[in-house]
Amino acid sequence: MLDSFEILTTSGVVVWSRTYSAINPSIINNFIADTFIEEKGGFAAVADSKSAANNLPYKSDQHTLKWTLVKELGVIFVAVYRSLLHLSWVDKLVDNIKTIFVKLYGEQLLKPHTTLVECGAFDEYFDQQVQELDQTTAKGASSASAAPLEHNTVPTIIGDDPLDQPGLTYRGRALNGSNEPASPELAPATTPNGSRPATPSNNHLLVAKAGPVAKMSRRARKSKSVASAPVSSGDEAPSLKKGKKTAKKGRKWDADGYADEDDDVQLDYSANPNSDSEVEVRSAALEEVDSDTWGTRSKGKFVLNDLKDEVHEILASEAEKKTTTKSQPKSGLFGTGVNAISGLFHNIVGGKTLTKEDLDSAMKGMEEHLLKKNVAREAAVRLCEGIEKELLGVKTGNFESINARIQAAMEASLTKMLTPTSSLDLLREIDAITAPSVTSLRKARPYVMSIVGVNGVGKSTNLSKICFFLLQNKYKVLIAAGDTFRSGAVEQLAVHVRNLKELTAREGGHVELYQKGYGKDAATVAKDAVTHAAQEGFDVVLIDTAGRRHNDQRLMSSLEKFAKFAQPDKILMVGEALVGTDSVAQARNFNAAFGAVRTLDGFIISKCDTVGDMVGTLVSLVHATNVPVLFVGVGQHYSDLRNFSVKWAVEKLLSSN
Amino acid sequence: MTPSVPTIVIGIIIILGMPILLHIILSSSRTYTIPPTVLLVGPSNSGKTSLQTLFERGSSDTETHTSQVSQSVELNASTDSATKKSFRNHDATDGTYTKFLFVDTPGHGKLRNSAMAKLNSTEKLQAVVFMVDAAALGEPEILAPTAAYLYDVLLFVQKRATTSAKTKAAIPIMIAANKMDLFTALPSTLVKSNLEAELTRIRASKSKGLLDSGVGTDEIGSEEQDSWLGEYGSAKFTFSQLREFDVEVEVVPGNVTGDGPGAEKWWWWIAQRI
Ligand SMILES: Nc1nc2c(ncn2[C@@H]2O[C@H](COP(=O)(O)OP(=O)(O)OP(=O)(O)O)[C@@H](O)[C@H]2O)c(=O)[nH]1
Ligand SMILES: [Mg+2]
Repeated sequence: MLDSFEILTTSGVVVWSRTYSAINPSIINNFIADTFIEEKGGFAAVADSKSAANNLPYKSDQHTLKWTLVKELGVIFVAVYRSLLHLSWVDKLVDNIKTIFVKLYGEQLLKPHTTLVECGAFDEYFDQQVQELDQTTAKGASSASAAPLEHNTVPTIIGDDPLDQPGLTYRGRALNGSNEPASPELAPATTPNGSRPATPSNNHLLVAKAGPVAKMSRRARKSKSVASAPVSSGDEAPSLKKGKKTAKKGRKWDADGYADEDDDVQLDYSANPNSDSEVEVRSAALEEVDSDTWGTRSKGKFVLNDLKDEVHEILASEAEKKTTTKSQPKSGLFGTGVNAISGLFHNIVGGKTLTKEDLDSAMKGMEEHLLKKNVAREAAVRLCEGIEKELLGVKTGNFESINARIQAAMEASLTKMLTPTSSLDLLREIDAITAPSVTSLRKARPYVMSIVGVNGVGKSTNLSKICFFLLQNKYKVLIAAGDTFRSGAVEQLAVHVRNLKELTAREGGHVELYQKGYGKDAATVAKDAVTHAAQEGFDVVLIDTAGRRHNDQRLMSSLEKFAKFAQPDKILMVGEALVGTDSVAQARNFNAAFGAVRTLDGFIISKCDTVGDMVGTLVSLVHATNVPVLFVGVGQHYSDLRNFSVKWAVEKLLSSN
Repeated sequence: MTPSVPTIVIGIIIILGMPILLHIILSSSRTYTIPPTVLLVGPSNSGKTSLQTLFERGSSDTETHTSQVSQSVELNASTDSATKKSFRNHDATDGTYTKFLFVDTPGHGKLRNSAMAKLNSTEKLQAVVFMVDAAALGEPEILAPTAAYLYDVLLFVQKRATTSAKTKAAIPIMIAANKMDLFTALPSTLVKSNLEAELTRIRASKSKGLLDSGVGTDEIGSEEQDSWLGEYGSAKFTFSQLREFDVEVEVVPGNVTGDGPGAEKWWWWIAQRI
């Protein structure tokens, strides 16, 4: 069984929900952050209103979340259930609920300046769907129990129950939960467990009090319903209807909307053992009257049209719409001519609804532009696809051309992609580790930072730049020579340390080199360096590592041990602004090299001064790994290190020259 | 028939004047229709969306999750009605009401620039509510990013107050210390002092930090004084230092759900400023 089903807007308001067993709200919060904001599951996956079956299910510790969204309306549908249960029908449920909800309340979601969606009546539709779909997998799980109907038939007042209407009045105008055309009259209703009040504002579901039919023999009833079948079968969705179900017209009634499996009294009068999870109250005598009317007074009993029929009608008509729009023929020559002219006009004046054709050519241009800026093809394609899907069907603003709209969307997209989830204030972070506040109960220790990358990208240089910055701020820094592999590496580092000492001696900087020569295990050297730093009272340990090709299995695999031994607070990878197509694979392999629990924390992009506006590499790196760029190197001097500014990068990427 | 000179002249004037006239009409009517706006910012999970739905509905039982987009709602506040201090004023019949927009923004780090853009571009921005989770502010992992966000907001408002023309008055800021119903919540005095201490640290480390990429070396000197939050050169930052820039900052405790001081004080603060 489901744990919970929620319908929420992208602005974060839950407009409708059903909880079977309470779940931690952080599960859905994490789902939103990971899937939509940080786009961990991949970017293109999110941009479309796809079926729940095609969206990657989100897994938390114990729960699986199936979801779908309608982008234009900004509404998300999520079903949560325990991962142990394999509920194959949930995909279908999520899709159907989406279709029904959008059909019934979609317009309300477009209203500006309000978060209110009056959908109190949705409970019934949801119950109907759960019962119908859940049944298809849980056939015969509970045996048919033909309890005497009279015992469960309780007249209930429907329509003025205040339960679900929390003071929705607005300056004299009552916001009633009801949106339905049916009249909120008093009517007898059958509830399976009459002790609870019926859900408010659900008015067209009322069923006749069970008449003498209920007392008929099983066989008599069966024959009767079979006989009347052709009358009703026409308005059921063929896609949802099982052959055997045509024979009976099931009326389901779950009045209180909270029915659990166990307190649900099963009423089955159809004599069909396969439909026993449905609560059926069927008065065969009334079959012909209610199949085509909303509410009719017939033989002194109030009858309302079946909810199931309505649901199936909605689902069928939406499915039909989908197929017709797909196969819509292109308009004739005259039509296209007029369209072209009005398209041109709208392109200047704005107010044009963007179609696939409009976007295709413009997006090609944008893709070319990004490629020219050195963005890897893979990343450029992904960005453009995302934007195309976002803009499809969107109306351009007044005096806004298509290109301006695309430019704006790309700017937003790039900004979101490059902005880190939490910004880095390195000095604050170091202070928090080396001088923890009394309340945090942590022991002071040195802050450990290590630098990785392929050969020759400037690892040692950038490490020295960071060191210079730290020395200027009067930290005691220990540099560990973790490159025990390439000859000359230790000496090179020693030269840097000597220079740094000279440069910062006056300002009170203090830097030492920790080295154990060549041939030693780098992970052990790093670990020893950290221990040494702790004993000697250093604030920061900077660990240099050997450059390695990202496809060198042996050297890459040693990184995992390194991360485990040295326990760095930050692992930064140096990437060149110059690299071509290889950068994506490099970043991916390095990001994956530290084992299951550790990833890169950030990139330093070196040699940014040599590429002008072609800073696309950093987009490729972030695209491939979701790891933020933290610093950029902009020159040959120790002081040529900069904080990465997203605005700066986006401006460069979109500038046209 | 040859048209007379005056006809041609009048015709030309009409043709040329029409767009200008239209523009004037359109732009002037727009300023009348935009209601005053109050912006709701703050880190994720502080309770912004909860507060917005509370103000809109009058009840706090609406569930919320992480927001991805901004959302505005239209509310009415009064400073002279009998129920002026309560946001549950939907049935009130006395007093005069001002319509205003209450705009919720997403608090997630990646979406922060959308909130900052709103801060920059909103017309008739009357006040900013910065919401913090007082129950979580004791933890350094929460305090640091919260203060970093507040730093950006305060610096923006300060810069705007110093550089902009007189028409754009300084924007008052309320720090809404939420979740006072929880026993772990810090009292508002502590919320204030913790934030001030952390802002002091951020200010110091920013002044020593690396330059942003794109900032040229020639601009360094002029930047420094402008981007110093509060009284330049002061050792400790306090919110009162912003009064020098006519920016008023107030910490007001409250809660959206549960038992506590409630949200009435926040409402009243807003009502007085629109
Ligand atoms: N105990 C308590 N919980 C609260 C209070 N206000 C809000 N919450 C809870 O805090 C959580 C987060 O609230 P939201 O309103 O969604 O947070 P937000 O600030 O909009 O977060 P983002 O949209 O991610 O920026 C919800 O689970 C609320 O129920 C309060 O006054 N007391
Ligand atoms: Mg929110």
